[in-house]
Amino acid sequence: MSVELSQSGQVLTATGLSAGYDGRPIVQDVNIEATPGKVISIVGPNGSGKSTLLKSLVGVVPVLGGSVRVGDKDITNMTPEKVAALGVGYVPQIDDVFPPLTVKENLEIGGYLLARRDVATRIEAVLEFFPRLKVMLTRKAGKLSGGERKMLAMGRVLMLSPSVLVLDEPTANLAPIVATQLLEEYIRGFADHGSTVLLVEQRAKAALRISDWTCVLGGGRVVLEGAPRDLEQDPVFVESFLGGGAARHQAP
Amino acid sequence: MSSFGFGLMTAAVLAIATVGFTMQFAVTNVLNLAYGSVMINSAFVGYFFNARGMNAWVTLVFGMVTGAVASWALNRFVFTPFQRRNLAPITVVIVALGVDLVGTFGLQAIVGGGYVSFRIAPGQEYHILGMFLSGMQLIILAICAVVLVMIHWLLRYTRLGKAMRATSANPNLARNSGVKTQMVISTTWLISGALCGLAGTIFAMNTGVFEATSAQLYIVMLLAAMFLGGPGEPYGAMFGALTIGLATEISAAYISPQYKEVVAFLVLLGMLTFRPYGIFGSEKTN
Repeated sequence: MSVELSQSGQVLTATGLSAGYDGRPIVQDVNIEATPGKVISIVGPNGSGKSTLLKSLVGVVPVLGGSVRVGDKDITNMTPEKVAALGVGYVPQIDDVFPPLTVKENLEIGGYLLARRDVATRIEAVLEFFPRLKVMLTRKAGKLSGGERKMLAMGRVLMLSPSVLVLDEPTANLAPIVATQLLEEYIRGFADHGSTVLLVEQRAKAALRISDWTCVLGGGRVVLEGAPRDLEQDPVFVESFLGGGAARHQAP
Repeated sequence: MSSFGFGLMTAAVLAIATVGFTMQFAVTNVLNLAYGSVMINSAFVGYFFNARGMNAWVTLVFGMVTGAVASWALNRFVFTPFQRRNLAPITVVIVALGVDLVGTFGLQAIVGGGYVSFRIAPGQEYHILGMFLSGMQLIILAICAVVLVMIHWLLRYTRLGKAMRATSANPNLARNSGVKTQMVISTTWLISGALCGLAGTIFAMNTGVFEATSAQLYIVMLLAAMFLGGPGEPYGAMFGALTIGLATEISAAYISPQYKEVVAFLVLLGMLTFRPYGIFGSEKTN
């Protein structure tokens, strides 16, 4: 990675976190600590609350109990725009770009909080990191392929040099080769350069390969966590996530 | 060819009105059926100053300010509280319809039911491409052209315009990017309201004589132009306005002008049936 795109990371901590919609918790009593230079992954079956958890960290879903901190700042229930200003970059699973806007305009919106004079320089830096986007600056984001679109979504977030990256299933709907490149080259790369990365991923094997710590969510709670090499020895984990029996894995 | 000239005038006014209308819909998700009543109220504010001796062209500023303030206040004190209650979208549409009736007939209660007209000299008549256009009409066309170019510049080349388009496309992602969407929405209501006020005042000048209910059926033209171009598509609105403006005025040359809105309504029905996302819109985005 020749271009420094993210600031050195801050610690993202969720303590006793409960969050959900209309006062009904989807995730309950979750404790997570994501530290600089590490990839923390969250895996779990569909409907286990992975996306809701990430959304509550970045202010999209209300926190009903517990707290969220970035560094020494309490960001519990802070608005998404303030969370972004504090250096937390969030890439949602779907609707991760602005389809009617061009690639360049998407990046400009990503740099909305930057001083106007810095936006062009920052776009150059992001394009150096994702050179494939260089030739499609005037193309509408809605016309991009899945892989290009995900690169743009990442590029949009990198415009603000985030210290914490919160990524919700970045490889969803991507071809396996593109997914592997995204995870191993880019996402692992962010952490290796000092960023804090919190990743939700459906491809458990691939997630484990690039993670330093993995939490397993089931029924809205953390039911298992550990270093990838330890989880790979855990028969419950292997049965549920590496052996194709994910659906049977439920909260106790 | 004279009906083409009338059509061009109708299209020009309709373009300004529809761009404002579709911007409100795109950015704030409100189908503001009270738009016509804000237009005519703005026109009467302009007329109020004109009747007291102010130059008609200067009164356009008062019309714009009235439209901007009224639209912003409508959003702040009427639409937003209803939207926050997470009611079905149709609720806000019905509320807007109610506001339209109150705005129109409230105005009628104040100014009475008689027709009035701006004191403005039509100026010299020009013969251009087979059309007869007065000096006043040429100034109106020039104003419309300048306003549409400014809107294009705003949306394409300014930070605010890009933030408006981003908020329209994906408000949550815009917030995650640091855009203060509430501020963008408020600004959109001010700008689109100013367009509404300008369109209302120009509409009243161009019509010649007008009264409190003159813009009541204008909403049909607005909806037809918006759906023709594509809901929430400002450039589609310009195209839709041109088409509807020309179609209604040219048809008026062959059938009674009283049926102009019927022609617009038929176009609206046709678009809703065969391509509800309009010519410039896409199925995916609508």
